[in-house]
Amino acid sequence: MVDELKAKVRELLKNKQVELVIGYQRAADGVSVIPCFVENEKDAELLIWDAYCVYNLSGYLKDYPGKKIGIVAKDCDLRSIVVLLQENQLKRENLFIIEMECHGVIDEKRLKYDTQNQEINFAQKCKGCPSAKLSIADCVIKDKGEKRKTPDDYDEYEPIRKMEAKAISERLKFWQEEFSRCIRCYACRQVCPMCYCPKCVAEQTQPAWFSKGTNLEGNLSWNVTRAMHLAGRCIDCGECERACPVGIPLRDINKKIQKDVQELFSYQAGLSAEAKPLFACFDKKDPDDFIK
Amino acid sequence: MTEKKNWEPKIVAFLCNWCSYAGADLAGTSRMEYPPNVRIIRVPCSGRMNPLFVIKCLMKGADGVLISGCHINDCHYSEGNFYARRRFAVLKKLLEYTGIDPRRFQMSWVSASEGDKWAKVVRELVDEIKSAGPNRLVDRQTHSAEV
Repeated sequence: MVDELKAKVRELLKNKQVELVIGYQRAADGVSVIPCFVENEKDAELLIWDAYCVYNLSGYLKDYPGKKIGIVAKDCDLRSIVVLLQENQLKRENLFIIEMECHGVIDEKRLKYDTQNQEINFAQKCKGCPSAKLSIADCVIKDKGEKRKTPDDYDEYEPIRKMEAKAISERLKFWQEEFSRCIRCYACRQVCPMCYCPKCVAEQTQPAWFSKGTNLEGNLSWNVTRAMHLAGRCIDCGECERACPVGIPLRDINKKIQKDVQELFSYQAGLSAEAKPLFACFDKKDPDDFIK
Repeated sequence: MTEKKNWEPKIVAFLCNWCSYAGADLAGTSRMEYPPNVRIIRVPCSGRMNPLFVIKCLMKGADGVLISGCHINDCHYSEGNFYARRRFAVLKKLLEYTGIDPRRFQMSWVSASEGDKWAKVVRELVDEIKSAGPNRLVDRQTHSAEV
C-alpha cells in the first residue's frame, strides 16, 4: 500500500502535476508520526502509511494559495476537505487528493497506558465513522487487509444521550469542572482544519468578547463559542480532543451539535461540496417550536 | 450566597428594528403595563444576532436574554429571521447541554402591531426568570464557579 503511495507521489512530482505533496512520515522516535512535505521525488521515500497516521492534514492546504498541492487523506480528512471546498477556502483544481483506504487509526492517549495489549486501540471517532464513501478523491489507494467492522448496534451518540438525560445542575457541574482545567492554549483551535479565521474572536480586543484569562467566564465562553462556530461544519476528525493537553472531552460537545443538526435540519457536514453550508441557507419549515 | 430581598431579574432584550422594536413602542404608547425588567437593545434584524451576544450577556450576569424579531415571512430583509431561527435553535440546545437553564435564553416573534403580545411575552418571561432565580453562572467578583 505504501509502495503504491510512494510511486504515485513520485509520478505526480515528476509530471509536475503538483508542486508539493503533504503526507505522513515517521518521527525520530521511530513510533510517532509527523507531517511530511514532499517537494522532490527523492523525499517520497519518507512517506509512510499505517494506523498511526492520526492527524488531519487538510488544515495545511490553505497555507499554499494558488499552488497545486497533493494531499494524503483518509475518510475523515476527505470530509474536512469537502467542508473547506464548500466554504470556498480551497480550489478543487489546485488539489490532488490521494485517498488512503482507512480501517481506523489508533488512539494515542489510550495506547500509552496499554502497551501490553497487542490489539490496536482504535480511536473512538473511528467506531462511528460514516460508511458512506465520498467520491471526491483523484485516486484511491486500496488496502488489501481485512476490513474492520462496526457493530450494527453501535450508537455513536450514546455518550451524548447519557449526558442529556442528566439533571441540568449535574450537567453544569460536569462541564464547569471540565472547563476549569482549560488553560486557553487554543490547541483545539490551532489543530482544527475548520478554524481558519485570520483573526479569532478569542483574540479580539475591541470588542473583547470574553475574558482572556483562565477563569470560568472566559473558559465557558470560549468552549461554547468554539463549538458553536463549528456547528454544521465539524466533521468529527477528533483532532481538538486529541490535541487538548488537559483532556477536555471536546468531541462530546461537537457530537451534541452534530446530533442536533441532524435531528433538526437533517444536515450532515462534509458530505457534499456543492451543498450550501448549514447556516448559509434555511428551510421555511425549520423547527420553531422554541419560539414564542 | 443568600438571595437578596426584592431581587428583580435583569433581562437583555434584542429587538429587531422593524417589528419587535415598533411593537414594544406600541405597547408603550398604548400605555400597556408590563414589568420594567427588560433592557432593550435595538438591532437592525434578528438575523444580525450573533450567538456571542447571547453568551456574553449570560456570562456578564444577565438573568435572561430575549431575541425578538419579525414573524416568519415578514422580515424586512425577506429572510433574516430564517437564518436567526436556524442559528439559535442550535445555540439553545447547546446552552442547555452545557447546563445553562433554558429559561434564560428565549426567542419570540412580535410584529409592529402586536403591542399586547410584547407585553405578554415580557410578563411571561419575567415570571419564568423569577422562577429560575438569579443567574449565578459566574460570580462577577471572583470569576469563580458557583454551582
